[in-house]
Order: sequence, then C-alpha cells, then structure tokens
Amino acid sequence: MTEASRLSRYLYTLIIVFIIWLFLTASLDPQELAMGLIFSAIVAAFTYEIFTTRGLSNLHPRRVAYAIAYVPYFLWAMIKANLDVAYRVLHPKRPINPGIVECKTTLRNEVGKLALANSITLTPGTITLDIDGDRYFIHWIDVKDKSVEGASEHITRPFEKFLKVIFE
Amino acid sequence: MMLKRILAIFMILIIGFWLAKGLSGIPFGADKMLVGKYYLEHVKDQTGAINAVTAVVVNYRGFDTLGEVTVLFIASTGVAALLWRKRRERTAKMEGSVVLTTGSKLLFPFIMIFGMYIFIHGHLTPGGGFPGGATIATAFLLMYLAFIVYEIPHKGFEVTEGLAGMSYVLVGLIGLVIGGYFLFDWIWQTWKLGTIGKLISGGFIPVIYTIIGIKVATELSGIVDNMLKEEVKE
Repeated sequence: MTEASRLSRYLYTLIIVFIIWLFLTASLDPQELAMGLIFSAIVAAFTYEIFTTRGLSNLHPRRVAYAIAYVPYFLWAMIKANLDVAYRVLHPKRPINPGIVECKTTLRNEVGKLALANSITLTPGTITLDIDGDRYFIHWIDVKDKSVEGASEHITRPFEKFLKVIFE
Repeated sequence: MMLKRILAIFMILIIGFWLAKGLSGIPFGADKMLVGKYYLEHVKDQTGAINAVTAVVVNYRGFDTLGEVTVLFIASTGVAALLWRKRRERTAKMEGSVVLTTGSKLLFPFIMIFGMYIFIHGHLTPGGGFPGGATIATAFLLMYLAFIVYEIPHKGFEVTEGLAGMSYVLVGLIGLVIGGYFLFDWIWQTWKLGTIGKLISGGFIPVIYTIIGIKVATELSGIVDNMLKEEVKE
C-alpha cells in the first residue's frame, strides 16, 4: 500500500478534525467556524503524519456509504450478543464453554485491524486478547468450533465484509 | 506497632470531632455570600464573560492564576533538575499491540482538538486553560505509553513554554500601561470587544487561557517525558 501525498493527508486530517469541532460546538456561528478552522489547521499540521497514511482516499463515497451502513449492522450484532450473554447469566445451568481460539483475518490495514478487534470485543461473548500479524487470539464464551477456519467463520467473517471495503 | 496505630486513630477521631464541631455552627445552604454576590451581579458587564469562575480566576484575581502558572513552571523545572543525568533514555522493551498503537495514533488529533476546545471556551463553558492544557498533555502521554521510541520535540516544547509564560506577563503589562494596574483587562474595559455569549467576548480571558493552555500542555508533557526516562550506563 502506497502512501498518499502529504497535502492529501493533511487535508483529510483537517476535514476530520473540523467535523469533530462542529460536533463539539454544535453551532454554525461564523466566529466558531473561523476559530474551528484555525485550530483544525494547527492540529492537522501537528498530527497528520501519524493520523493517516491514505489521506483523502479515505473519503471515497463507497467507503463512507459502507461505514454508515456498518453502524446499524454493528449495533444490531451488539444488541443480539448482549441478550445472548444475559441469557447465559440468568440461565440456571449457566451454559458456558469458554476457551481461547485463533482466528485469521484477511485485513491488511492496521486501522482495519483495530476496528475489527474493537468490533469483536464490543460484541459480548468474544474478547480480543492479542493480535499478531493476521492472527487474532480471541476469548470465546461458548466455543463452537476450535479450528482456525471455523472460528473465523463465526467471529471475524461477519464484520470483515464491511471492514474490507471501508479500510482496504 | 499496635499502640501506635490506636494512638493515631484516636488522634484522627479527636481532630475529626473538633472539625465537625466547628462546621456544625454553619447552617448548610444558608446565604453566606459577601463578595460572591458582587461577582455574580457584575461579572457580565465588568468582564464580558458568562462563566463566573473563570472571570474570577483570570480577571478579578488574576494574580493567583499567575502564581499557579509559576508553581507549575517550578514543578516542571524541579522535576527536570531532580532527574537530570548525562544520558537518559527510554528503556522499555515492549511496544504496545496493534490495537494500542493504532488506537493512540487515531485518538491523538481528537484529544488535541478537544483540549483546544476546552481552553478557548473558558469564558463560556466550564473548563479553561488548566483542564485544556492537561487534556492535550494526555495526548502526548498516550503516545509515550503506546510507543517505546516516541519523544516530544524538546527544544520546541521548552521554547514554546517560555514564550507562553512571557506572553501572559506581557498581556498583564499592556494592561499596566493602558489601565494603570497589572493585569487590567484592556480588551474588554477599553475596547469593549465582542458581544457577550459569543466566542469573541470575555475580554482577555480567552487570550490568557489560550496562553495558559499551551503552557500547561507543554509543561506536563515535559514532566511526563522526564519521568519516563531512565538512566543509561555508558
């Protein structure tokens, strides 16, 4: 993966930071906008080198659309999984079968790996313990499949189809 | 040992009882404001700020804040002096996992812009220069904890810190020239700049809080840097 030009990376950081500013101030007062632009430009100048490697190509419409679609998809997975854990806690027999499984991911981008790890951790029943290259070590509350392929099919695959478009 | 502990507990109980007895004379929630009333009634037209706390801290009692900034500066210099050695390096061996390093990289600009948001809105919302500066320093602390080789640019940070401190005194001295006393709020009292409630208002409070924010951020980052380094044998 090649790095985008410095200007593109700078502009991308500026845009993202300015959007955060808009959410923080929640006002479109011209003074706030001007001050926000100045501060975003300063912050972007200091941080764009570590913030992004791909620059403006992150804002490709296809990626943004998938990112927006990912939010309800992920929230639904979270609700389902939380109810599942509540069921396990309240069940008199406590049907748990914990263990640590290894998964493989097809994601190459580091930010994508971070998003996948957080998605796995936030859907209860699975916690990412460590990442080593393309291997994920995951603590699973109810191990259904010990093999690498099988576990990946259960845990990482559902998120990957979105994250692959967003981050690759 | 046992006797010492019992004696200590006994002493604390006596002090606690004595304090409680003293405080019981003051009814809770009663109106005890003598100076406070004045601040609340005059804060808007005298300073142009909505946040009465920052108006008191920077404007009415600006000397205290200048003292606090000095205390922080001395703390930072003191830490640097105490830990001064010829060769000091980060000796940590383990880099954080991909989750930690990537997460820190992503959060870094967000924390910085939030810190700036806090100190520039000091006259409108809770916060000000000290919390804002501390927030920005947290961003640098995060980078220090995630990466074993990360280092702040020392030269730039030290110069910025000094310049920020000087600007604070300079703002006060301009007040001395225009209004006749140190830290006189020339931006509001003389110019009446801005409308109350908007970002540009509050006289020199946002100016001074920007200066303090930059100063506190660089200072605390310097303290973190000093504390994380260990002496290296040649």
